[in-house]
Amino acid sequence: MATEYVKFVDVTKCDGCRACMVACKNWNDLPAEPQDFLGSAQSHVKTTADTWNVLQYIEHENSKGGLDYLFRHSACFHCTDAACEKVCPENAISYTEFGTVVIDHEKCVGCGYCVNNCPFEVISLKEYVDKNGDKYRKANKCTMCTDRLEEGLQPACVTTCHTGAMEFGDKAAMIKKAEERVKQIKDRYPNAMVYNPQGVGGTHTVYVLAEKPSVYGLPENPKVPTSAVVWKDYAQPIGKMMIGATTMAVVGAFITNKIFSKKTNGHDEDGGESHE
Amino acid sequence: MVEINLNRRQFLKLSGATAATLAVVELGFDTKKAHAATKEFKIAKSTVTPTICCFCGVGCGILVHTKDNTVVYTEGDPDNPINEGKLCSKGTTIRQLYTSEKRVKKPLYRAPGSNKWVEKDWEWMYETIAKRVKETRDKTFVATENGLTVNKTEAIASLGGAALDNEECYLLAKMMRGLGVTYLEHQARI
Amino acid sequence: MGANPAENHPISFRWLTKAKEKGGKIVSVDPRFTRTSSMADIYAPLRSGTDIPFMGGMIKHALDNNLYHKEYVAKYTNASFIVKDSFTFEDGLFSGYDESKRAYDKTKWAWETAEDGKPVKDETLQHPRSVFQLMKKHYSRYDVDTVSKVTGTPKEDLLKVYEAFCETGQVGKSGTIMYAMGTTQHTVGTQNVRAFAIIQMLLGNIGMPGGGINAMRGESNVQGSTDFALLYDTIPGYLTAPKAIPEHATLAAYNAKETPPTGYQSNKPKFVASLLKAWYGPNATAANEFGYQYLPKGNKNYSHINLFKAMYEGTLEGAFLFGTNPVVGGPNAGKEKESLSNLKWLVAVDLWETETSAFWQESAGSNPAKINTEVFFLPACSSYEKEGSISNSGRWMQYRWQAIKPLGESKPDIEIIHELATRIKGLYKNEAGPQAAPINALYWNYGEGHHPDIDLVCKEINGYDVNTGKQVAGFAALKDDGSTCSGNWIYSGFYPEEGKNRSKNRDNKDTGMSNYLNWAFSWPANRRIIYNRASADPSGKPWSKDKAVIWWDDLQAKWVGNDVPDFVPTKAPTDPTGTDPFIMNKDGVGLLYAPTLNDGPFPEHYEPFESPIPNAFSSQELNPAAVVIEGDFNKRGFKADYPIVATTYRVSEHWQSGTMTRNQEWLSELVPHMYIEMSEELAKEKGIKNKDEVIVTSARGEVKAYAMVTKRFKPHKINGKNVHQIGMPWHFGYKGIATGETANRLTPHIGDANTTIPEYKAFLCDVRRA
Repeated sequence: MATEYVKFVDVTKCDGCRACMVACKNWNDLPAEPQDFLGSAQSHVKTTADTWNVLQYIEHENSKGGLDYLFRHSACFHCTDAACEKVCPENAISYTEFGTVVIDHEKCVGCGYCVNNCPFEVISLKEYVDKNGDKYRKANKCTMCTDRLEEGLQPACVTTCHTGAMEFGDKAAMIKKAEERVKQIKDRYPNAMVYNPQGVGGTHTVYVLAEKPSVYGLPENPKVPTSAVVWKDYAQPIGKMMIGATTMAVVGAFITNKIFSKKTNGHDEDGGESHE
Repeated sequence: MVEINLNRRQFLKLSGATAATLAVVELGFDTKKAHAATKEFKIAKSTVTPTICCFCGVGCGILVHTKDNTVVYTEGDPDNPINEGKLCSKGTTIRQLYTSEKRVKKPLYRAPGSNKWVEKDWEWMYETIAKRVKETRDKTFVATENGLTVNKTEAIASLGGAALDNEECYLLAKMMRGLGVTYLEHQARI
Repeated sequence: MGANPAENHPISFRWLTKAKEKGGKIVSVDPRFTRTSSMADIYAPLRSGTDIPFMGGMIKHALDNNLYHKEYVAKYTNASFIVKDSFTFEDGLFSGYDESKRAYDKTKWAWETAEDGKPVKDETLQHPRSVFQLMKKHYSRYDVDTVSKVTGTPKEDLLKVYEAFCETGQVGKSGTIMYAMGTTQHTVGTQNVRAFAIIQMLLGNIGMPGGGINAMRGESNVQGSTDFALLYDTIPGYLTAPKAIPEHATLAAYNAKETPPTGYQSNKPKFVASLLKAWYGPNATAANEFGYQYLPKGNKNYSHINLFKAMYEGTLEGAFLFGTNPVVGGPNAGKEKESLSNLKWLVAVDLWETETSAFWQESAGSNPAKINTEVFFLPACSSYEKEGSISNSGRWMQYRWQAIKPLGESKPDIEIIHELATRIKGLYKNEAGPQAAPINALYWNYGEGHHPDIDLVCKEINGYDVNTGKQVAGFAALKDDGSTCSGNWIYSGFYPEEGKNRSKNRDNKDTGMSNYLNWAFSWPANRRIIYNRASADPSGKPWSKDKAVIWWDDLQAKWVGNDVPDFVPTKAPTDPTGTDPFIMNKDGVGLLYAPTLNDGPFPEHYEPFESPIPNAFSSQELNPAAVVIEGDFNKRGFKADYPIVATTYRVSEHWQSGTMTRNQEWLSELVPHMYIEMSEELAKEKGIKNKDEVIVTSARGEVKAYAMVTKRFKPHKINGKNVHQIGMPWHFGYKGIATGETANRLTPHIGDANTTIPEYKAFLCDVRRA
């Protein structure tokens, strides 16, 4: 395996310019989506099938009584133990040599388990129409520009970021940098922390957050649901042996919806709910 | 001929990845020397031309990737010391200046009292505008005023130009002064 | 201050974040907590329109606490000049005011001169009528308590800013002030910038690396279009446009009037003659004053507001618009739209259909049948579908190569201008008489065919010897005898020899102090820091080793360093004028006291045209020399009906009137709706909830938009009372992908005393739920 890379996002250096959002659309040829007024500078509630990263804008009264205007580039975390990969009945989701998690559209059948099981709610289904006019769905999310990585280029969002809020590099070096940065900014942001949740085996997008994860609507301690582990590691292989892959997706849909029964919260932009 | 190296682009040191050094001639990069991609890569075989952002006055460098008569990608110019390859949201979007459906592609004319545009050819537009300028100018031209030679018309105005190239600004200023226009204003105040 | 670089000039902010990493401090002064404020070390709110009190307090703080750079102030500014006793200042008025003309007699402000015409000085700065003492007295009134009551800035925030910024008065430290339209678009806009200049000279920050006052240019080439004089009052290279006055009756008279005896401007006649040679070619001869009489001579203020007033009153018949959209971007935009229907013809050159070119449509609220304006829309191509250069905020002239052929039938503006010029000239070709003469004399020779040869244009701008055709090396080679031409003397040197266009330079090696002398070309003479003589002490040594720009080398007997000296290269510090760094000023020093401005030699606070409170500093409410336009064209609102202060601004994702960005999907998606930002306190008073639709009204019009209720706006505490302020982006109109109502329907037609820039940034309004 090649060196493991991570995208290091230091939100305390971000000035909210949103070049990362446009760079993503530009590189990945994603269309714009009309948006309602959200009452803040934020454009989208969360990532969608056509908007793979969203800049969060949060007005936060800090522990010193001062006002912080916090920004966060939110996109797929590329978990080391990715729930989406675990629950996919078609093995359409896989890890690359870089540690990124990608969806193979050839294999994806649009069942949506990945959408329901992502602890960070970054995956969405998009509806397409084929040449016969039939509709079909595929899951979409940030690819970490794996196609660029293969050519030796960094992700488009990182490449355009002007404040140094995003870097892409060797995993160990980036994590070390993040830890040092937290020490530097403790005076300014007493709650600052490295966000690299171990419940999902660590992530390939590592943050320095200025505040607790809940301020950003992030789960404090996200985990791969036990049921997903059971599904991927036990039920699915056995099931496939017994009844064949295609039917398995149908069975899978039933089982997944039953056993994961993830509560579907309204996507408040303040977020705040924690996911287990 | 200008040599442009793209060697400051942030290439990863990945096995098998080559940091491409592209040579460029004035009117675009020499695509023969561009790195050959092993598979269909978005900017493989594109022609790369350096430009400067058209929005604010910072002057960031941008590379425009063109292929098959369209713009396939735009990105920060890593060699430009002003932005070192970085861009804001606007600079990142200039690809859509070319691809936007909203661009007007033909000259349009609206007649007095009309409620619609009519497409016209350039020749007709140039000739008709030149005539209107002459009519107005001749009717309103003031050669002398209080014994001073003033050679002006105060009935024609020219506004804008802050997004034009220097060479265009120069010719526009020269033409307008040549016509005797005094109502000459660009966007410095607005 | 007066700028929001993280949002409006984001890549400039990259360098601030780098400075911060090296221990620099960022101060954000803004009525609203912005994305810039979020990254700042110190944030200080202020009420829109109170920049002079804010800076006046800083000037007083620097003087009272001895934080200024004493030697710099004594040697490099006019602090030591003795002002005549005809200068007085009383209750907000400087001497020489004529109320009927709303103008001052500036001769009352002159300084004492010796028999040789040189200023009388007191370098101890103790003379009671020295500029230094007068300044001290003037700003003694700007104590921090009074300032805080006027600006609404908490006193402790004021002091934090003052202390942090005045630290840069120490040798070895630099501070810069970045400003934009938040500073200039006021009835005291010029004096706001002057206040910055005063503090920066007091702190010794002008001519220093990392210093200066930096105008953050809003358009990619507003620097170049200003340099090239797309303005009524100048001709290229900041030469005064000839006026219809006896002092400008002839070229000789013009030169006599406009040329100072000393300083670099004493070369002006060479630049004027070379410009005339560029414009009139062989038709410019010594016998006909090089064609000077062909130039139009106006006798009024033809700037934006007055231009639209003339249109409103019906005296304008035709107009050209080059990529501009005043129906969204102009002040009191409702009136500007109305004015357009008085035109007989309108030529709009743009990439997109704009609210302005479509003003006659039903969707614009117009009745097309009643509008007789003929409209010609000429589709222009974008900047990378053609080639040419632009000049950035730092005067770097960078070339843009053509990446692709123009889309559809669109054309480069240069071709459109060229075609129009040649065709208009063609119509006059066989005519004689006063109308025809200036056009027939205009030298227009840019090659055959429809597209002009841009190299020929560039060569003419740089200038050449008209006898040999050889390019001149720079403006030092220009002559006043008609033997050279140069279309813009300040750019002379960018094309010094055949085939060498220095704006195309792409060598990005740092040549020292990040000046990148071989990347692009910076006018004048490729120097990057203007007035860099001031970065060295009077003896010619850098004030500090870390901030070395240029220095005097005794052995070589010349100035050397990391930049092109902004000084005569061989003039030693021991020369009588060897310590005068501000070479473009007559006396070679910086003007703490500027008797040349229309509204006084020192910045003084006056309230905006529309203000919720009386002026705490004097009984003069409005700048006595502001350009006031009365009547229907500029209705005025008062506190009783409109108690809330309002301002306008831009966001990172849109640009100017939005024409370029609201027609692009990805940017339209990011900021899709018009909104009004207001404090939680104001929202509560008005019963407004976040995301409600609200209506904002001013004396000029009303705008419907979404409410964005935010903690980032707080009511200002003005003299113990809450004064509310709201703000809104001015990018929106009804055309394009992202649409919304136009903020400028609210703003007034009132102008600064020196520039007539409209006061967009402080006016009164009211707000209610829709």
